[in-house]
Amino acid sequence: MALAQPTPDQIAALRARYPRAFGATPRTRAIRAVAGAAALGWLVFLFWWFDITPQRLWNGLSGLGVIVTLMIPPSPGEQWVEILKGIAESIAMAFLGTLFAAIIAVPLGFMGANNVVTNTLAHFSLRRIFDGFRGVDQLIWALAYVRAVGLGPLAGVLAIATADIAVLAKLYAEAIENAEKRQAEGIDAVGGNRLLRTRFGLLPQVLPVMVAQALYFLESNTRSAAILGVVGAGGIGLQIAERIKVRYWDEVAFIIILMIAAVALIDTLSSRIRRRLIGDREGIAKR
Amino acid sequence: MLELQGLTRRFGAVTAVNDVRLSIPDGQMVGVIGRSGAGKSTLLRMINRLTEPSEGRIIHDGQDITALRGAALRRWRTDCAMIFQQFNLVQRLDVLTNVLVGRLNHRPGFMGTLTSLLCLFTAEERALAIQALDRFDLADTALQRADTLSGGQQQRVAICRALMQEPKFILADEPIASLDPRNARTVMEALRQVNREDGITVLTNLHHLDTARHYCDRIVAMQAGRVMFDGPPAALTGEKVREIYGVSEDEFDEQAEEAVKPKVQRAPKAGLAIA
Repeated sequence: MALAQPTPDQIAALRARYPRAFGATPRTRAIRAVAGAAALGWLVFLFWWFDITPQRLWNGLSGLGVIVTLMIPPSPGEQWVEILKGIAESIAMAFLGTLFAAIIAVPLGFMGANNVVTNTLAHFSLRRIFDGFRGVDQLIWALAYVRAVGLGPLAGVLAIATADIAVLAKLYAEAIENAEKRQAEGIDAVGGNRLLRTRFGLLPQVLPVMVAQALYFLESNTRSAAILGVVGAGGIGLQIAERIKVRYWDEVAFIIILMIAAVALIDTLSSRIRRRLIGDREGIAKR
Repeated sequence: MLELQGLTRRFGAVTAVNDVRLSIPDGQMVGVIGRSGAGKSTLLRMINRLTEPSEGRIIHDGQDITALRGAALRRWRTDCAMIFQQFNLVQRLDVLTNVLVGRLNHRPGFMGTLTSLLCLFTAEERALAIQALDRFDLADTALQRADTLSGGQQQRVAICRALMQEPKFILADEPIASLDPRNARTVMEALRQVNREDGITVLTNLHHLDTARHYCDRIVAMQAGRVMFDGPPAALTGEKVREIYGVSEDEFDEQAEEAVKPKVQRAPKAGLAIA
C-alpha cells in the first residue's frame, strides 16, 4: 500500500509545528560545531605535544617488526623450569589476591549499598572511600608492598587484593542496589531483622553476580600478575623483564605464548563455572 | 490473494502447524484464534518466514514466497509488516526514529544504507512519519523515547512503523495480549482503520473470541496445529466452540487469557561489565 507523498506545503507546515523532528535547532547545531572544533583542536594539540608524527610511527612499526622476527621461533631456553615456576606463581598470586578481595568485598559491598545501609552520610562516605582506593593502581600498591613486606609473591598478592577490594565492593554494592525490593520485603513481612533480611532477601539474588564478577577479575588478574613481577612483586614478570633487557626475544615469545594459554584456560574454566552457577536462567546470563 | 498450501512446521517431534490450507483475498481482516500452543504464532511467523515451514508452500499473486532468498525475502518482509505482542520497539530510540525504521528497506543502494546508518532521513520521510503518528494522535510524542510511552501508545507506534513499510499485509501476533482493555480497544480500532481505509490485509492472532468476532471479517480457529473452523464470525457459535475445543466459550476465553499473560517479570540484575 503506497503512502501519499506529502506535498512541500505539508512538509513546511509540519516543520513549523515540530521543528526538532526535522533535525537539530540552529543553537544545538552551533554548540555541536563548537564542541567538535574544540575536540579536534585538543586532538591536534596532543599530537603536537607528544610529537606523534607518521615518521615516528613508521619507525616504531619497523622496530616492532624486527622484534617479531627475533621472536621466531620461540624457544624455552635453558631455564624453562624457572619459567614454568614463574607462570605457576603468577596464577597462584592472581588466585589468592582475587579470593581475598572477593571475600572482603562482600561485607563492604553490603555496607556500601544504599538499600542496606540507609544512612546517607555513611553510604556516601564509604562510597567515596571506595573511589579513593580505586584511584590507586595495582602497580603502585605493588611498589608500596615490596618496600613493606619485601620482594616476592606476598607483595603481589597484597597488591592485587588491595586494588580489587574497592572495585569489587563498588560493583557488589551496585548489584545489591539493583536487586528486587519485593523479595526483601517478603522477609520483612515475616518479621526478620535487618541482618536476616539481607541474608535471605538480598544475598540469594546477588550471589551469582558476585561470583561471576570475581571470576572475571581472576582472569584479568592473571594477566596483570605478570606485570607485578617487573617491580619485584613475584611471578613471571621479572623473567620477562630480564630477557627483554638482554634481548632474548625468542624466550620472551615462549613466555608470552604460555601466558596466553594460561589465561585462555582460566577463561574457559571460569566461564564454565559461571554457567554452572548462574545457569541460563533469565537475567544475568543474557546481560 | 495469499494462499497457504499444506503449510506444516515441526519442532522436533512436535508438529506445531499441521497441513494448513487457507486462501486469503486482499483486503480481508482475518482473526486467528486458538489456545496457547495451537500454532497461531508459528503460522503467522511462517508467512513472513521468520520461521521456516517444514512443508508446504506460500503463494502470493502467483509468486512462491517459500522460495524467496536474500533481497527478495527482505522485500517480502517489507510487504507484510509484523506487529508483536511485546511491540518490539527499540526502547532507547525516540518515537520518530522508531517509525522511520519502517522506511529502511525503501532506501536502496549504498547511499541509502549509509544515510540510514547516520540516521539522515529526508524531510519527506520525516513528514511522512509525523503524518502517520498524527493519524493515531501520537505526533506530540515524536521526540520522546519509546520507553516513556504506555503500552497502548507503543503498540500504535508499532502500527505507524508498519505503515511506513507501505505493506500489503499486516501480521499481528497477539497485538493486544499485553494491554489493558481500553488500550486494547484503541489498538484493535487502529488495525481495523488501516484495514478499512488503506485496504491492507490484516491477519491477527487473538485469544479473545469476542474481540475476533467484533473486529474481523473472517475467523480461523486452530487446535493442535490444524484449522478446525474457517468462516464468518456469525458462524462461530457457542456450540461450534464447544465442538472444537470441548469447553464453553467463557472457559475458552479464560484459559486463553491465562496462557498469554506475560510471566512474572524478575527484577533486572546488575550487569557483569568490569568497571
